[in-house]
Amino acid sequence: MKAGRIGLYAFLLGAALFFSIPLLIVVMTSLKPMPEIRTGSIFALPLAPNFDAWVKAWMSACTGLACEGIRVGFWNSFRILIPSVALSVMAGALNGYALAQWKPPGANALLTALMLGAFIPYQVILYPMVKILSNVGLYNSLPGIIAVHIIFGLPVMTLIFRNFYAGLPDELLKAARVDGAGFWRIFVEIMLPLSVNILIVAVILQVTGIWNDYLLGLIFAGRDNAPMTVQLNLIVNTSMGEQEHNVNMAATLLTALPPLLVYFASGRYFVRGITAGAVKG
Amino acid sequence: MSAVQVRGLRKSYGPLDVLRDIDLEVREGEFTVLLGPSGCGKSTLLSAIAGLDPVNAGRIEIGGVDVTDRDPSARGIAMVFQSYALYPTMTVRNNMTFGLRVKRLPKPEIEKRLTWAADMLQLSALLDRKPGQLSGGQRQRVAIGRALVQQSRVFLFDEPLSNLDAKLRAEMRVEIKRLHRELAPTVVYVTHDQIEAMTLATRIAVMRGGRIEQYATPDELYERPQTLFVAGFVGSPAMNFLPVVLRRNGPSVGAELGDLRIPLDAYRFTALPADGTEAILGIRPEHAALAGAGVQVDTETLFMEPMGADTLGWFQLGTEKLAARLAPQVARGVNGPQRLALDIANASIFARDTEQRL
Repeated sequence: MKAGRIGLYAFLLGAALFFSIPLLIVVMTSLKPMPEIRTGSIFALPLAPNFDAWVKAWMSACTGLACEGIRVGFWNSFRILIPSVALSVMAGALNGYALAQWKPPGANALLTALMLGAFIPYQVILYPMVKILSNVGLYNSLPGIIAVHIIFGLPVMTLIFRNFYAGLPDELLKAARVDGAGFWRIFVEIMLPLSVNILIVAVILQVTGIWNDYLLGLIFAGRDNAPMTVQLNLIVNTSMGEQEHNVNMAATLLTALPPLLVYFASGRYFVRGITAGAVKG
Repeated sequence: MSAVQVRGLRKSYGPLDVLRDIDLEVREGEFTVLLGPSGCGKSTLLSAIAGLDPVNAGRIEIGGVDVTDRDPSARGIAMVFQSYALYPTMTVRNNMTFGLRVKRLPKPEIEKRLTWAADMLQLSALLDRKPGQLSGGQRQRVAIGRALVQQSRVFLFDEPLSNLDAKLRAEMRVEIKRLHRELAPTVVYVTHDQIEAMTLATRIAVMRGGRIEQYATPDELYERPQTLFVAGFVGSPAMNFLPVVLRRNGPSVGAELGDLRIPLDAYRFTALPADGTEAILGIRPEHAALAGAGVQVDTETLFMEPMGADTLGWFQLGTEKLAARLAPQVARGVNGPQRLALDIANASIFARDTEQRL
């Protein structure tokens, strides 16, 4: 092996170690009891690793007044996640298909508007959004937060699917129209089966985006539906009593776990889907 | 009875007129080819007949029924596309039966038609494959099969062979010809390939700039082109065009090419032209010979292009170049000054300003 190669691998290894240090500390700390954390270095390996902090974080950590653990937030996040992802991906696919394949009048203007929508930082529209939702009685409710996620997800979802469907040959739609199939039938029987890879990409984007969301959940979900990220913040930022670092770390890891699992399970599709959209063979 | 009747069809994209006052009649069982260079509007005309693109004005009748405002599927047509447009996720079987299932035909009927079309096109062994597992020729056959099972009155083909290699194209051409002979459907077929047009068509409509220049049988089109464009577009190697001035002497007309005089007594003018008319004299390469009857002209040999069955000989005639189609044996060793015989009876003469046949 040449010296250059050795240097390259040494650098890569060093960089990998450097970036994994915070994660390692979080994992190690979550496995230590509090006395050990107080007395020892944060770099010290746990003397007797155990999952007590994880159990406490899941079952009985205090989020404000209630002490039911972060599992409440976990289920809230799930209830928000499933309909938000399903509806925003489906609506995006449908929008993209209609815009790219049926080219309705004004499609380009709509597309430009969507592009703008995708790039406007959403903090700008938080306040009007709060007003709108409270006027229609959806503020601080599960349907409210789901609606917000769908609306904020729509521009990017639509663009992804529009670009994918614009890459398909026009003649596919024409052939289906000559065969007598209508808007919905073509979508369900011809376009959706073609979109598996891009659907997976869209689902990954939405799952990670919505699961990791904190701000929207904090503002729109209301106390009863607060997602896991909001609950986590309540655990970590509590100012009463002793800071339980091991419980905080365990709760953080629990919160970060679902998107991580999604990436590990589907990274292959993710890369494939993105490149499939880029180069049409 | 006409299977397809198009009257006064107009289509424009903004300021760009793609179709201008198209009139076209296709009789029952006829194989009409729309032929023209790219951008001439032939595919747009086919799309209009199929109902895939709305038109600005005009009327389309299929089987005597006005279908101008009907959906493609309600026009009684079936269509084969250039890119085949097979549904990628469906098997060959499902591709071919998709339209029938949409129309909710009874299962036994669907099965019957599928078997019939698959036999016809030798697709029976491929029914459970996906389009991705088929060769180009097989995909084309599936696309034709998908149209056949519709058992429509009218079949539309949009450059179906242009994605195939030369050998396969010749095979599929024969296949399409065979299908037309056996099933005798009405066909409207778009192509830019004049060989395809000449071999398949019962009538060819040559299009240019959104208009039909001439609509006639292949023979008529080849032998008596009505416009300069048709004369130049149809035939390979292309027709020789000589810029001449027509001189009249009583009922006898001659062409003046520089110092050269070419008597045109053998040519049948539609109307005797005026003296001094600027014209184009068109002579096909096979109507110029090294010996024989016809108008004799003196030329200088330029070079020979052997093409296998024939050799194309190039000669200098006054200021112009002239190609003659020669037998290879005859062409060997030809050089220096040569006397060519021009078959004026089979020539075409066009006015230079209107480009119409004289």
